[in-house]
Parts: sequence; C-alpha cells; structure tokens
Amino acid sequence: MSVIYLLLTISIVIAVFFFVVFILSVKSGQFDDTYTPSVRMLFDDELVKEKDQVQKTTSKNKDE
Amino acid sequence: MELEQFYYDNKIVKKFTYATIFWGIIGMSIGLLLATFFLFPNLTDGISWLSFGRLRPLHTNAVIFAFVGNAIFAGIYYSLQRLLKARMYSDVLSSINFWGWQFIIVAAAITLPLGYTSSKEYAELEWPIDIAIAVIWVAFGINMIGTILKRRQRHLYVAIWFYLATFVTVAVLHIFNSLALPVGFLKSYSVYAGVQDALVQWWYGHNAVAFFLTTPFLGLMYYFVPKMANRPVFSYRLSIVHFWSLIFIYIWAGPHHLLYSALPDWAQNLGVAFSIMLLFPSWGGMINGLLTLRGAWDKVRTDPTLKFMVVAITGYGMATFEGPMLSLKSVNAIAHYTDWIVAHVHVGALAWNGFLTFGMIYWMLPRLFKTKLWSNALANFHFWIGTLGIILYALPMYVAGFLQASMWKQFNPDGTLVYGNFLETVTEIMPMYWMRAIGGSLYILGAFVMLYNLVQTIRNGSEVTDELAESAPLERVSKKRLAGEGYHNWLERRPVQLTLLATVAILIGGIVQIVPTILIKSNIPTISSVQPYTPLELEGRDIYIREGCVGCHSQMIRPFRSEVERYGEYSKAGEYVYDHPFLWGSKRTGPDLFRVGGKYSDSWHLNHFYDPQSISAGSIMPSYKWIILNELDKSETENKMEVMVNLGVPYTPQDIARAQEWMTEQGISIEENLHSDPDFARNYEANKANAKENNVEFVEMRNREIVALIAYIQRLGTDIKITSNE
Amino acid sequence: MTDVSACFHCGDPCEADAIVFDKKNFCCNGCKIVFEIFSENDLSGYYDLQNFPGASPKELEGKYDFLDNSAIADKLLEFNDGGAQIITLYIPHIHCSSCIWVLENLNKLDRNIKASQVDFPKKTVRVTFNSEGISLKQIACLLGKIGYAPYISLDDFQTEKIKKDRSIIYKLGIAGFAFGNVMFLSFPEYFEVNEFWLDQYKSTFRWLMFAFSLPVFFYSASGYFIAAFKGLRAKILNIDVPLALGILVLFVRSTFEIVFDIGSGFFDSLTGLVFFLLLGKYFQQKTYGFLSFERDYKSYFPIAVTRINKNGREEAVQVNEIKKGDRLLIRNDELIPVDSILLKGKARIDYSFVTGEIEPVEKESGEKIFAGGKQVSGSIEIDTLKPVSQSYLTQLWSNQVFDSNKENSFTSLTNTISKYFTISILSIAASATTYWLFVQPALAMNVFTAILIIACPCALAMSAPFALGNMLRIFGKLKFYVKNDQAIERLAKADTLIFDKTGTITANNKSLVTYEGTTLNKAEKSLLKSTLRTSGHPLSRILYSHLNGCELVKLSDVEEVVGEGIKAKFNDQQIKIGSASFVNAENIQNNLQTAVHIRLNKDYKGSFLFQNKYREGLSELFKELAPEYQLAILSGDNNGEAANLKKILPLKTSLLFQQTPEEKLNYIRQLQQDSYRVVMVGDGLNDAGALKQSDVGIAISENVNVFSPACDAILEAGKFKELHKYIKVAKGAMTIIKISIAISFLYNIVGLYFAVTGQLSPVVAAILMPLSSISVVLFTTLMTNLISQKLN
Repeated sequence: MSVIYLLLTISIVIAVFFFVVFILSVKSGQFDDTYTPSVRMLFDDELVKEKDQVQKTTSKNKDE
Repeated sequence: MELEQFYYDNKIVKKFTYATIFWGIIGMSIGLLLATFFLFPNLTDGISWLSFGRLRPLHTNAVIFAFVGNAIFAGIYYSLQRLLKARMYSDVLSSINFWGWQFIIVAAAITLPLGYTSSKEYAELEWPIDIAIAVIWVAFGINMIGTILKRRQRHLYVAIWFYLATFVTVAVLHIFNSLALPVGFLKSYSVYAGVQDALVQWWYGHNAVAFFLTTPFLGLMYYFVPKMANRPVFSYRLSIVHFWSLIFIYIWAGPHHLLYSALPDWAQNLGVAFSIMLLFPSWGGMINGLLTLRGAWDKVRTDPTLKFMVVAITGYGMATFEGPMLSLKSVNAIAHYTDWIVAHVHVGALAWNGFLTFGMIYWMLPRLFKTKLWSNALANFHFWIGTLGIILYALPMYVAGFLQASMWKQFNPDGTLVYGNFLETVTEIMPMYWMRAIGGSLYILGAFVMLYNLVQTIRNGSEVTDELAESAPLERVSKKRLAGEGYHNWLERRPVQLTLLATVAILIGGIVQIVPTILIKSNIPTISSVQPYTPLELEGRDIYIREGCVGCHSQMIRPFRSEVERYGEYSKAGEYVYDHPFLWGSKRTGPDLFRVGGKYSDSWHLNHFYDPQSISAGSIMPSYKWIILNELDKSETENKMEVMVNLGVPYTPQDIARAQEWMTEQGISIEENLHSDPDFARNYEANKANAKENNVEFVEMRNREIVALIAYIQRLGTDIKITSNE
Repeated sequence: MTDVSACFHCGDPCEADAIVFDKKNFCCNGCKIVFEIFSENDLSGYYDLQNFPGASPKELEGKYDFLDNSAIADKLLEFNDGGAQIITLYIPHIHCSSCIWVLENLNKLDRNIKASQVDFPKKTVRVTFNSEGISLKQIACLLGKIGYAPYISLDDFQTEKIKKDRSIIYKLGIAGFAFGNVMFLSFPEYFEVNEFWLDQYKSTFRWLMFAFSLPVFFYSASGYFIAAFKGLRAKILNIDVPLALGILVLFVRSTFEIVFDIGSGFFDSLTGLVFFLLLGKYFQQKTYGFLSFERDYKSYFPIAVTRINKNGREEAVQVNEIKKGDRLLIRNDELIPVDSILLKGKARIDYSFVTGEIEPVEKESGEKIFAGGKQVSGSIEIDTLKPVSQSYLTQLWSNQVFDSNKENSFTSLTNTISKYFTISILSIAASATTYWLFVQPALAMNVFTAILIIACPCALAMSAPFALGNMLRIFGKLKFYVKNDQAIERLAKADTLIFDKTGTITANNKSLVTYEGTTLNKAEKSLLKSTLRTSGHPLSRILYSHLNGCELVKLSDVEEVVGEGIKAKFNDQQIKIGSASFVNAENIQNNLQTAVHIRLNKDYKGSFLFQNKYREGLSELFKELAPEYQLAILSGDNNGEAANLKKILPLKTSLLFQQTPEEKLNYIRQLQQDSYRVVMVGDGLNDAGALKQSDVGIAISENVNVFSPACDAILEAGKFKELHKYIKVAKGAMTIIKISIAISFLYNIVGLYFAVTGQLSPVVAAILMPLSSISVVLFTTLMTNLISQKLN
C-alpha cells in the first residue's frame, strides 16, 4: 500500500498550489467586490457595429 | 495607453462545436449499439473489432473525451475571450489544440476496437495516445493562461477559476494515472499493482468525473445561464465559497469506488467521510445555478435553451445527491457492481453533461452564424424527447439494480442461495434492458433532430466571422506608483522564472525517483502461496484485457456471506500482488470470476467461448469464435516478463529463458484435457486432416489463443485454495 | 387630472408641461439633454437594462472648480504617471445595472477616458484617463452632466488610502485548509484500528498533522493570544483568555504526544477550533460598503472655496488654508465653511443640515454668519472671522467625547460570563489534578490538560458573534443599519430614549399646510400656483406641491424679491405672495409660526400656515415606549411646538427647547452619570455631540445616501415607527445568546466528565468540539431569524 505516499504527496502538492493561488488572489483584490462582476459579464461588448466595420477594416490586417 | 481593437476568434469555436456534435452522435450511437448487444448478444457474431468488450471503452472514451471534451473546449474558447476581453493567446496553439484532440479521438477509435487497451476505466488508451493527450492538454493550458495574462479585464470571473482548476488537476491526474512501463508500441503494464493500482485508478477515475465532467461544466453554467436568462448569477459570494470548497474536497474522494474491496478499512472510511462532505459544495453550485433563474421563469417556458439548462442543473443536483448516498457503506454494499451505478452515471451524463451541451450549442450556434435558431419547435421537441429518454433510461436501470442486488443476496432457510445460478438474475432483468435501449434511442433521436435543426440554421445563417471589440489594455498598477510594469514582465523577471522552473524540475525529478523505489519494493504481505503467472497465463491475461472482459466480469469477491457462498473465499489484498494492471472491474453483467479457476473443465470453457447460449440458455455473453481460431502471438512473451521483473514480479532469469517451452508444455496439457471431449477430438482431427490434404498451414491447439485464455481462467483464485485446506 | 406620465429618463411624474422629444416625454430639460447625449454616443442600451434608471442632473456651474488646483487634484488621484491617471469617485446615484453599464462605457462619451470600473457595493467608479486629453474637473463635470455627479468631500481628501485589512481572510483560509487536511489525516486513527498498513503510516500521518498545525497555531490563532495578553495586562478576564489557554494546551499536549509517540494528538480539534472561532469573527464583521459611521463635519464641507485676493481676482483655495480676514465668494447652493460676517449680497441660509430647521434664516450685510449653513439665494461675499477648525460648529468636535471610544468601555455579555467561566474551570482543573495526584499520579497531567482542552469555550465564544452577526444582516435588510454587533448589545441594555425634534420626530419635507382667510376660488388658486412655480424658496415649493389639481396659466412680468416674496400680473389681476411685511399686512397677528401671506389686487386674502408634520406613528411609538423607558425631547428650536407636542406625547416625556449642541451633550452625560443607559435619536449635525456621548446614537435619514452625522446606527426615516420593535428584537437576541451559552455549557459538562475521569480520547474531542460549535451556530441563526419574523 505504499502508493499512499505517492497519492499523499501529489494531493498535498496540488492542495498547497491551490492554497497559494487562494492567498494571491485574495491579495490582488479578486474577491473585494462580490456583486459587480456578476452584472458586468452580462454586457456583451461587441459594441462596434457593422457600420464602423468598413472604416475599421484597415485596422483589421494590422491586428492579424 | 491607446484603446485597442481586437477580434474574438469565432472560427475555432465553430470547429469545436462541429466536432462536439459529430462525436456526440457517434459516441451515443455506439452506446445504443451496446444497449442492443444486451438484447441480441450475437448481433455482430464473429467480428472481433465489433464485440461488446472492445466497444464499451470506445463508448465511454468517445462520450467523455470526444463529446464532452470538445464541448468544454467550444464553451471555454467562446466564453474565455469574452470574459477577458482578449483574443486567444495564439491562434497556432488553438488549432494545435483542435487538430491534436481530433487526432487523439481518431487514434482511440482505431486502437480500442483492435483491442489495444490498458483496461483502466476511463483511461483505457495506450501509452502513446496518453502522451499525446498530455501534450495537447498542456498546449490548451498554455493557450488559456497566455490569454489570461494578456487580458483587458482585471477581474477573473468565477467561470475562469473553474477552467483553470480543470486544467491543472486533469493534467496531474492524467499523468499519474497513466504511469505505465511500455512493452511494445501499443502495449504497456501499469506501474502499480493490485490494491495500489486500484486506489490510484479510482483516485483518478473519480477525479476524471470531478474535474472533467463537473468543474468545467460548472464554469460553463456560470457563464451561459446568466447570459441566457440575462440576469446576474444568484449570489457571486456563494460561487466563491462553492469553488474553493469543491476544489478542496473533490481531490480526496477517490476511495468510495472501492468500498468493501480489499482496500484497508481506514482508507475506505476516509473515502466515505469525504464523499459525504462533497454533497455541500455540489449543491451549493446547483442552488446558485437554479436560483439565477429566479424571476425569469416565464422565459424558461418559452426559451428551449433555458429548459435544457434547468433540467441539466436539476440532473446535476440529483446525481450529486445520489453520489454521497451511494458512498455510504451500507448503500454501497447493495449498489456496487449492479445497474444502479449505470443509472447514476447516466443521470449525471445525459442530463448534466448532455443537456447543458445541447443548451449551450442551441444558444451559441445562432450567435456564431448571426441568425436565429431555425426552429424553436424542433428544439423544444428535442428537449421533451431527450427528457423522456433520460427517464426511460434511468428508471429501468434503477429497478434492474435493486433486482440484481436483492436476488444476489437472497438465502433459503437452510443457508443455500435462492438464485444460485447467476444467470437467473440476468434473465430476470432482460425487460429492463429493453426499456433502457428504448430510452437510449429516444435520446439519440433527439440528437438527430438537433443535428437537422442546426444544419438548417447554419444553411440560412451568414458565414462565421470574428467579432470586433474594443477595450483598454490593463494598466498594471504596481505598489510603486510610478513604474507601470505589465503583468507579464513580472513573470519574466529572473527570480520568478527561476522559482517556477525549479519547482517543475523538482517535481519531475521527484516523480522519477520516488515512484519506482516506493512501488517496486511494495511490501504487501505476500501470501506465500501466491505465485506469479506462468508465461502462458500471462498471455492469457493479456487476451482477457484485450477482449475487455473486465467490462462485464469483476474479480473482487466482497466479504459478504452471499458472495462467499456464491463465489468462494473473499479476495485478500495479497492475491493481487502481481496483477499489473488490476482487473477488479466495476460492473457484474456476468458473474465474478475471481474463484472460477478449476470450477469448470477446459472443454466447458472452450464450448462456452464458442457458443455461450448453447451451454447456458438465455446468457447474453457474446461468442468469441476468433479466439478459438487465432494463433497466439508468442513473440513478445520474454519482453513482457522482463518488464514484469522491472515492476517487481519475481521471475527468475531461468523462467524467462525457458518461457517458450514452458508455454508449449502447458499448452499440450490443456490440449490433452480438451481431447477428453469426444466430439471435439473428432472435428479437431478432421480439420487437421483436410488442412494437411490441401496443405493449408494448420495451427496446433496448443499454440492457439484459446489455450492461453483457458490457462489464465483456470488459474484465477487457485493460489489461496491451497492454503485453505492445508 | 392631467395624465401624469412618468419621465422616460428618471421616472418622476411629469406634469402637463412635459417636454416631448423623440416620442418620449421628460419631466425636465435636464433629463432630455442626458437622453440626447446617450442616444448620440450609441449608449441607448442604458434604457433597455432597467426602466427609469437615470436622475435629472442638477446644474453644477463652478461646483468642481477646485479640481483645477493641482495640489488638491494630486492628493485625490490614486495613480498618476506618464499621462495616465486613475481616480476613484464616490457616486451616490449608482443603484442599478444600467448605472453600471453606462459608467463602464464612459469611453464612448470621451475617447480620452480609457477605462472605468464600477464597484457597485461601494458605489464608486475607478476611472483611468489620459491626463493630456481630459482633466479631472472635466471628468467630474461630464459625470455631473449625465446625472451621476460625484460627491467629493473633505473626508476622502484627508484620509490616506487605508490599506484593506484582509488578515482575517488569510487566517481563516489557513485555518480552514489545515483543518481539512488534519481531519483527513487523523480520520483513520479515530477508530484505533491496528491494521498492518496503518501502523506503517501512523508516524507519517502524525508528523504531517503537526506540520499543518504550525501555521494555524502561530499565525491564525495569534489574534487570540494577543487579545488574551492585553486582557490579562489590563486585569480583565475576557473571553480570549480561556480560548488562548485552550489552544495553547491543545498544541503543547499534542506535540508532546506525537514526539514521544504515546498518542495521535488533538491537532484536528485544535485546527477545527481555530477555524470555527475565526469563522465567527469573520461573520461578526458585517460592513456596509456604501455607508460610513464615522462621518464628521469634514464629510459636509467642500474641499476648496473661491477666495477673492487683494487685487480682486478669484482663486480656489483649500478650506483649511483660509485665515482670519480672508474675503470669500460663496455661490448659490454652496456651503459656508467658516464663521464670518456678511459683506455683500442678500444672504438666506438654510441650516437644515445643522439644526434640521427647514425655514432659511435671512441675514443682512454686517451680521454674523455661523459655519455649516448653505446659501440658497444667489452668491454672497463674506469676511472670515475664524478659520474652519475653530468655527462654532467644528468646536463641537474638539470636545473630548470624540476621542473616547465607546467600544472598550463596554464589557460585553460574553466577557462578563467568561470571567466566572475561567475561574470555575481553573478551580475544577486544580481540584481534579490534586485528586488524581493521590489516586494515580501518572494520570494527573493527562487529566489537567484534558480539562483545559475540553473546557475551551469555543461554543460560548461563538454564540454572540453568530447571533449578533445575523441580527446585523437582518436589520440591514430592514433598513436599520447598525455599525457593529456591540451596538446591538448596548441597544438591548438601554433604559432611556432621547429624541431631537426637528428632522427626527418631524418629517421636514412633508409639512402640514393649513389656510386661514377667505377661501380662494379655482382661478385664484391656479394664478397662485403658476406664480409659485418660478420661485426656488423651500416654502413656495411645499405650497406648490400642496396646491395640486389646477392648471397653470401664462403669467406676465413675474418679479421675485429675494427673501421677501413674489409679485406677478395676469391680464388685469395683480398678485403678491410673501412675508407679512412684503404684502404690507403687518397688522395680521400670528404667533411665531411660519406663514405665507396672499394679497390679490387690493384686498388681503389670507395666509397659509406651515406646521411641520410629525412622522406618522409617533404617538403610538411613544405610548409603547412610555412604560419601559424614560423619554425626553431635546430641541434647538423655539418652544412654538410645545403645545401640540404635549397633546400627542405621553405626559412623562420631558420637553426641553433652545438646546445648544453642548447642552444636549451635557444633558446626556448627566443622565449617564446617574447610571441611566441612554439612546439618542437625532438627525442634524448639531446632534453629533449628543449621538457620540450616548450609549447608542441612532441617526434618522430620509435617504441613506444623504449624510448623517457620526453615529452607531442609521435608521431610514420610513421605518421610524418600527423603532420599538427593533429594540424588542435586540433584547430577544440577547436572551437567545444567553440560552445558547447555556447549551454550550451542556457540551462542556459532558466533555468535563470524560476529561475528569481521564478517558478523553482524540475522537471524543473531535466529535464534541465541532458538534457544540455547529449546534450553537444553527441554534442562534435559526432563532434570530425566527424572532425577527414579526419585524417585516
């Protein structure tokens, strides 16, 4: 049953990795605002309508 | 800090959506074919690459990795770009991800029917394909993380955490579970043995379900359900708690697949405890998803995509409630190995994964083609027929499951089994298999209706173009007010890069040393009488693996009175010491084979393989005529034994040297047993005679595959018997 | 009745003269302009997300001029480098998803604005803009123009950007992470199964548990050790002392056990204990993003004022740089920051902020003006008498009541109980150890540590935080925003209630209007109403909304004499409305009530009398409060209202008038000295001192975004009559805490049985501790929800 060592190490390594990510994300203020993101994701921002399409095509190849 | 304009990559999303639909229908068709095998066992009589044993892994891999896999990629590529307001990191990586994944699926579709399988459930693919999966998965990861690093929206929406968690954990799980020593190009033996292999396999197996079928789909739910209902998610704070608790608990919940097996008790209890705790994060997710529709229920009535989502999330709730209940030891004692587990799997898969994918496609495809869905009525029809299909699939299997469990365990007053012959249970639940096949066909009918509906939508939609969007790049405000350093320059700074590379190096270095040393001297209390397999039995075992017998037969007798009475002494951990890979199995369509050694004569086995229905009427086992005719390929035997030695199986160099004549010797003894049956002897000699006349090369019985298979089967569970009557 | 259609932009009812534009009607020109701006810059999506999302923009000429002064601007900016600047602005009007949408699409209105991110709970928007293209002032004006005027006050000017304190989250994270892992590792040993494999891994598991418990003991639990140490140094046995003791003993004994390999230790109880305690502490800190309880005069005053220097040029100067003798220009609708003397212009100052009186005070040039009032009729020039910090109003803040902190002088229920709890536990431990020393010395040490471990008051320490934390949330939902859980406890203990009059028990915007004199016919009424429409005077506005139901007529040559009244002509009739002197009817005698007189052509018609209307439910509230509480009304106003107050309120309420802020404060201090526990309910800035001095200061506010002085709780005006119910529920919460503490004693007693008899095994501790915590949490949460059912 010595595979338990292996499983333990992997699981703990993953767990510690996720824990460090938790601390970093709290520090970077990811969880400060707990309401606006849920509303912000609703705004679809393909806001540049077709009519601007023509005038912006020049920038299209610049972008590719 | 100019306002940048960029394009979302819609073409890759279109490709993945096409792949999802295509592989979905193929995977489900194979599923339906398998369901009909239960009713007509010899439907594809004689065609080895269409037999039940080989097609079952193809069905599971096709539906999980092809259908759900492509759906995940389609959903992630669509939502990730919009949530981060950035194009994918690199278009090259995106196409590598797409074409690589399709190549892997095609490779699986070829190798599995040909019998190249590692027999580890949901990880059946052989080692070259495993490596390919790892490479493509890492390419997808780099592409996703690259996009995150050059994002234009500082906050990472909850869906993205789920995507990241999926990537990280699936990568680790896949790598550790596929650790195998290759024998040949398409043959390898798992590094772990017996009980340990079981623990690692189901630690992976459960987390494949967790991190491949649930976590990414929760991410898709958090993106698509609010978008469809145009309402913010019920509680963003709950999604934070839900995410972190789910991630933490899921990783520990593997052992609940091995309750009452040879796994030590404390490991089993651990799995039970953590599986019960798993109920709360899962239901946290369900509540968050369902309550998002609060106030939008009128939309649900009219909009088919929302109907799909509601049933998907409810299905998720039911499946994740059933899971913890099933991992209670007393419930597990009933449900393990029965059709109840199949019902649990399919409620989760058909409702949660299937319906969420359908809803996502119905919502996304019209947007890609900038048109309306061709017919809402058809979509609603697909919804109703699909739901009916799920019900008609799940309910019969629940009933079948209860019936099996109770019939296996029923005792007469005098202590004998009421249904001694396993076959009585099988014939009893045939009607349920019929209803299951009907349920499955309804479900796939819905899929075909969807296909037609989408083709019409695509036909009158306009060509898929990349959508233009604009947003300001992210100003990385560092603590030092003035140095406005970008996020990725932080990564390129020397010390950080060094630490990252160092940890990766340590990890790999550690694995390469730790794994062999720990496992090779695995100190399972070897029962003295348990010996390694003889070369012929080893070859026989490989045929057992090749034909996928593990799909219907288990090799693990649980310490219950009913099983000991039916099969013999319950299995001890020590008996599996040399089993690379372990073959405990997870479903008893057929009886447990662990103590079948010596129970029937060799010729019984031969005739049974030739035509099972003639030996036991009503049996749904397919015939394996090709094993009886094929010549056994003995070229790799020595190579296999050397690999086994590396894995700790004590073959002596002399054993390996005389492997060939040892096999022929054992083959001859089995051949003589077969000759004891007169009509076998007669037509065997007849074949031999006319082969000599028109000098066709005739393969002696001792060199045939059937002899190796019989040798292996007769050996199963015989080591322990010697000790019991000492 | 003309059909009152709602304004498409802001939803206010627009009367007959609604402006129709693009087939939609708007209540005022402002709303129409905003609509035009949005439709030009394809922001029309604003109206699809939410209907009537907007607000009619108030004119703001010169409101943000001070932002041009780079010294001020630089202090406000969060980031300023290479042309890119970031500013976070507080915008009270943010209330729906359309607001979020339009404020995040500001770059459509002006290309120089790069990005804008809204934080909805805090009602702030963080704008990143390129400083060459647009200045901070232009941004503020742009926002003002579309109805989202940012509010910049002295308050957020001075305070350094306080770093968000997230240590509680890190500690909770570490404790939770370790608790999960340690429980996973200690689970196999619960059943003392000696299995071949388990014996192989026991030591690895134990040392792993030890490793996981280290950060919990040294970091997560550090808060409790520090608090216990402070408590002991200050000679008070607060709840943290037994907690710290329990955690210490748990850790020491467990380490001892695994080092000498005699047991599996109690690490799971240790980490679990710390996790549940921190969960309680996190749950206790309920903060309202958009509310602040520590506001003082600074959050009213503007940052800068225009000063006229020697050669007559105007310049924006910071408020605290104003010296004695400076000449200041105060524009219309601007606040007077200093005590000063009026030099030029007609001053009518609205002191409603400070005293709650709605009637503006008229001042002649040469008279003294106090700081805190708002000039409401045209711009004036004043000469500064005293700098801002020494003005009459701000003097109040120098009173030492403002630096003493109510929190630490109040010993909470938990701490009082914990004093007896600790003493009794230590005595039980001592007696049990001595007993065992004689009977079986080997067991003595085990028993001593076991008692301290199992007696650790985890459940006791969690009953108050969870009960009161839940009360905070429930009250918050019912628009009674309490600062922290201790305030609820103090509210429950109060026995006297003091009320300010104006603005608190009177609804200042809905006055009771009665007419005395010959009744006006329909034509006269519509003539009256049309004349009133033009004047901005608060009284005329109230009268205007009172006279509904008559059409408006076109008037000719309307003339408003600021501070006196309005004259207007309509074909042959001539109307004069205003104060008694203006309408030359001095002979009409009325007591000091505020009144507006009407004269039509030659004959005097009559006058409208304004009594401020009392909040409905006032008398019932006082009747309910009378039996249990001492009641009093403190008012800065004259005793004009004394008569009808006596009619409504129960006899024993004492009424005091003409109270200056200091007198209010001292009155409460006096009550507190003869050991009354006082609740002060007020609204104006002049109550700030009294609110601070009282045990619980409750501020009444018409709309929560408008400012209330520093206080312990903010009650929305609409819920005024529920005040007694809130206090009753607060009392109920205290009884719930007492019951749940009793429950936690039950667990301790069961635990003590095991400990004293020396049979305490890890699995018993592991079951008792979470069981007691969870049962206490469930009990308090369910009960608090139950008793607050009757509130809504």
